[in-house]
Amino acid sequence: MTSSSSSSTSSPDLLSSVDHFDHLPDSIVLLIFNKLFDVKTLGRCYVVSKRFQTLIPQAENVVVRVDCVISDDDVTPNSISGESRVGTFASLFNFVVTGIVKPIQALGSHILGNPSRLSSLRSANESEAAVVGVTHHSPTQVLRNFNEIKFLKIELPSGELGIESDVLLKWRAEFGSTLSSCVILGASSVEKRGESESSSSTEYVSEDGDGSIPDSFYTDGGLKLRVVWTISSLIAASARHYLLQPIIEEHKTLDKLVLSDLDGQGLLSMNKEQLEELRVKPLSASSASKRTLVPALNMRLWYAPCLVLPDGSVLKGATLVAIRPSSDVEGKEEVVDGNLVASVFDEPYGSAARMLVKRRTYSLEMNSF
Amino acid sequence: MSTSSSSSKKIVLKSADNETFEIDEIVALESQAIKNMIEDECADNVIPLGNIDSKTLSKIIEYCKKHAESPKKDDNADIDEKAVEDLKSFDAEFAKVDMPLIQDILMAANFLNIDNLIGLMCRTIADRIKGKTPEEIRKILNINKNDLLSPEQEAKAREENSWAFD
Repeated sequence: MTSSSSSSTSSPDLLSSVDHFDHLPDSIVLLIFNKLFDVKTLGRCYVVSKRFQTLIPQAENVVVRVDCVISDDDVTPNSISGESRVGTFASLFNFVVTGIVKPIQALGSHILGNPSRLSSLRSANESEAAVVGVTHHSPTQVLRNFNEIKFLKIELPSGELGIESDVLLKWRAEFGSTLSSCVILGASSVEKRGESESSSSTEYVSEDGDGSIPDSFYTDGGLKLRVVWTISSLIAASARHYLLQPIIEEHKTLDKLVLSDLDGQGLLSMNKEQLEELRVKPLSASSASKRTLVPALNMRLWYAPCLVLPDGSVLKGATLVAIRPSSDVEGKEEVVDGNLVASVFDEPYGSAARMLVKRRTYSLEMNSF
Repeated sequence: MSTSSSSSKKIVLKSADNETFEIDEIVALESQAIKNMIEDECADNVIPLGNIDSKTLSKIIEYCKKHAESPKKDDNADIDEKAVEDLKSFDAEFAKVDMPLIQDILMAANFLNIDNLIGLMCRTIADRIKGKTPEEIRKILNINKNDLLSPEQEAKAREENSWAFD
């Protein structure tokens, strides 16, 4: 490399112009917008300059962080509106629900609301005022100026299911017009590495046996609890799906849609084909509440009393449930399950799912609800 | 530079301010535009880059050298993680320059068609304006005053997007 002139000078036209940014072609400015993701910054860019204002509506990647989820029902007593909505499930599982999965009606008031008003974006310190009618911004409103969104992620501030701090419950669901698949990973407790003595961990492993479920599982409420986890997760997922409908309706360019929460509890996703399916064949709402009707389901369950993960954490009562519509599963269950659970959870829980799926499989059927 | 022979795999780039840079062909191939020129055999001994100054060009060469030396992801599925990490921290260091230079690099990378570098610069700019107010964004990017909205237009745009200003 040779140097023939001082490198401190820029070429004259670059030096004289104080507005470098204007030289960048629109395609590059859009690339920058597409790496912003954050909808608030995109919204602010909208007022930065005339050029920005014409380009922002073309942004393709948008992440909306919902600061606070409210519903119309926040002004009515939860106990009444919630119970009527959850109906038979609440009464069936009431005794298990209390104390383990916090009252299911809390879920009702959290997420099952009028979609157009459900979510509002505002700072936390305004939460008191909001109930009495400060302006709310629904994702639909926020997204109004964006015409070409391809990837949309909406993040709720927390998972809907109130669970005790040591309980692990995660669900990952895919939807088209209705549920396409759902995988749920649960454990009655999680011990991080170091919290448990290594000697006792070894014991757990040897206790594994042939991977069948111990009899006590059926009698000590273990199975019931798993059923509650499953139903709660499915209700949360189908309620989220219901909310997305107007957004999908309005944004025809979408080809990937994700609705997650900051707790990492639930994640609903729809790919291009699934979004298309919903546009062609609208969802059916459940008669009981504002959520998508879940079809008759085939569920496959794996259980381990104790599971030691590669990172040293220990899951007690680890349970994996893979769910498909009954109409989908004929003849190809094994293969499908393997693919389904292989990569949906982040580590260390991905390993947990892969370990569980090797154990004995239990099948359950559930009616549409 | 006049003596470079056609048999050696060297490419000479000449900046707008007439500085010349002799680089290995493999480094130059990081630029899709130069690659096309070489493949079409329309590259002479010296490739003049009349719109890129030497300061920008030397940064770009620094980037291309590093990336040409690093194992490519698609070459080998299990390249060692250390190389990936190394490249990552190089990129992070590389991007620690002032905004005018970032924009010059971006312009040049766009012209030379160096995808990774375009991506890195766009990401860097995005990171610097994330969460900032419109006033701050204008200042950071040095937005042309002639392109600002009229006060009425701005008021209307803010009203429409009031959710962005909570």
